[in-house]
Amino acid sequence: MNLGAAYSKSLLTNGSLWFWGAAFMLFWIVIGAYVESSGYQLSGPGLSEYAGAWYAVVVLLSLSMLAIAIANSLTYGSAALAYAFRYTTLTPARYLGAVVLASAIFGLILGFVILGGTVAIFGARFHAAIVPSNVPALVAVSLGAGVFYMALATNLMLLVINYLGLRSASMVGYVPLLLSYAFGLGQAFTTLPTWLLYGSPYNDITSLLYQGFTGAPVPVMLGSSDSVTLAWPLLVVGLAAWTVGLAVTATILLRRIRARNLEEGRQI
Amino acid sequence: MLEIAELSVQYRRGRTPAIRDVSLTLESEKLIVVGANGSGKTTLIRAVLGLAPISSGTVRVFGEDVRTTRGTASVSTNLADVYRLVSLPVRDLLPVFARLKAVDLAPLLDRVREFEIEDALDKRIFELSTGQQKLVGDLLAVSRGSGLVLLDEPFDNVDFSRRRRLARLLQELPAEVLLSTHELELLRLFENWRLAFMFEGRLFGPFPTAEVDRLYLARGRQPGALAVIETSVGMFSVTLDHGDIPVKSATSLNALVEAIA
Repeated sequence: MNLGAAYSKSLLTNGSLWFWGAAFMLFWIVIGAYVESSGYQLSGPGLSEYAGAWYAVVVLLSLSMLAIAIANSLTYGSAALAYAFRYTTLTPARYLGAVVLASAIFGLILGFVILGGTVAIFGARFHAAIVPSNVPALVAVSLGAGVFYMALATNLMLLVINYLGLRSASMVGYVPLLLSYAFGLGQAFTTLPTWLLYGSPYNDITSLLYQGFTGAPVPVMLGSSDSVTLAWPLLVVGLAAWTVGLAVTATILLRRIRARNLEEGRQI
Repeated sequence: MLEIAELSVQYRRGRTPAIRDVSLTLESEKLIVVGANGSGKTTLIRAVLGLAPISSGTVRVFGEDVRTTRGTASVSTNLADVYRLVSLPVRDLLPVFARLKAVDLAPLLDRVREFEIEDALDKRIFELSTGQQKLVGDLLAVSRGSGLVLLDEPFDNVDFSRRRRLARLLQELPAEVLLSTHELELLRLFENWRLAFMFEGRLFGPFPTAEVDRLYLARGRQPGALAVIETSVGMFSVTLDHGDIPVKSATSLNALVEAIA
């Protein structure tokens, strides 16, 4: 078994990740469909845009759970990686390739679970058939978003492992989730500046998922009738630039990985 | 080939180094390092593996500095930490490491059967008993293709029958071996190996294990001593044929030091 298959199997058999990344996120879809929408009578494009906004934000939150899992596994594997880069044929690039594969696969699966949940739950609530506009685009964005979160989590945790010490690990591990809430919900409920929406990888992901789901141009505030919309090619460029940049820095940080004792991470 | 020159390892600035000024060369031979718990044996192995912070000195493995070496697949160890690359049962972990080490999987699985630890295959590393964890690490370490094998307490929590099998395997292993233990009685299993003592982060020796029956510890600095060991509990000498306590009389170095201190 190669390392990519091993990491994929490890993620796919991680019950905790399935619960927090999929089941718990479907709970948010239920909240969106039945609680937040109470009193709404939606249909047609309005329904698609409302469901699409929830879908996009919840995928973002779901993928941040994947990032936490990857970050945690790095803290447990620092000695193994420091050893493997010296005394096996594993290289930082091959390691990243393996985690990219696993993250992309799991990101895709999470994307599909949330997509299926959104279509089914919003469809049931509003008694309407909701058909995502561009499924191949959603597949591509889910894959890319999985890779972005992997690269982000890897960078954050390598900074902890190499320079800060494991005492910061449990806090830093939650940074992707906190930022996902901030940027995802920020775009859903407020009007953020367009430069921020293009420059933030979180909003790149949310916006691309929204556009793939609804088929409509992305307004500055999701689900609104704002006349200012975002250009998807720039969103793709933003996400790709962040992902490639983070992958490069992750490779550099991986070369310097230090073996840390897990006891360092003990808080009390 | 392992070359260690004046190696010191300090985990935190301002703290006492875990090992101090250790020098050692291992070339086509096998060495047992005997030391009390906390004497620095594991740190020595971790330093060779690049897992401990080297504060001064050098460690070269097959001519390459451990701080910069990459892809030297001929070094292996039984430290469980290094096998926590992915959270999967041992059955899935073995093929991963066989591939990363570029060795055949079949002989590894044969060894697992030979040592009758097949039930370990379906468990993750952290789910194994201490003895199983040690044995799995030992068997991964001695897989074919390793030129230098670093074993930290390889017999810990391993039952008598498997100890004998493992000792035979290590005797026949066509590789350089550095084995650390706190059990002096193990020396009888490895009579043609070299022996070194580790006290409070310093290495003394090597001595031939064939002469373990002739080795004594004596209080203070003795004329003609093979080595003079300075510790926080006093100074004593390793002597041949005479002294205060024969090394063979003790089961562990802890007991020996307590007896002589």
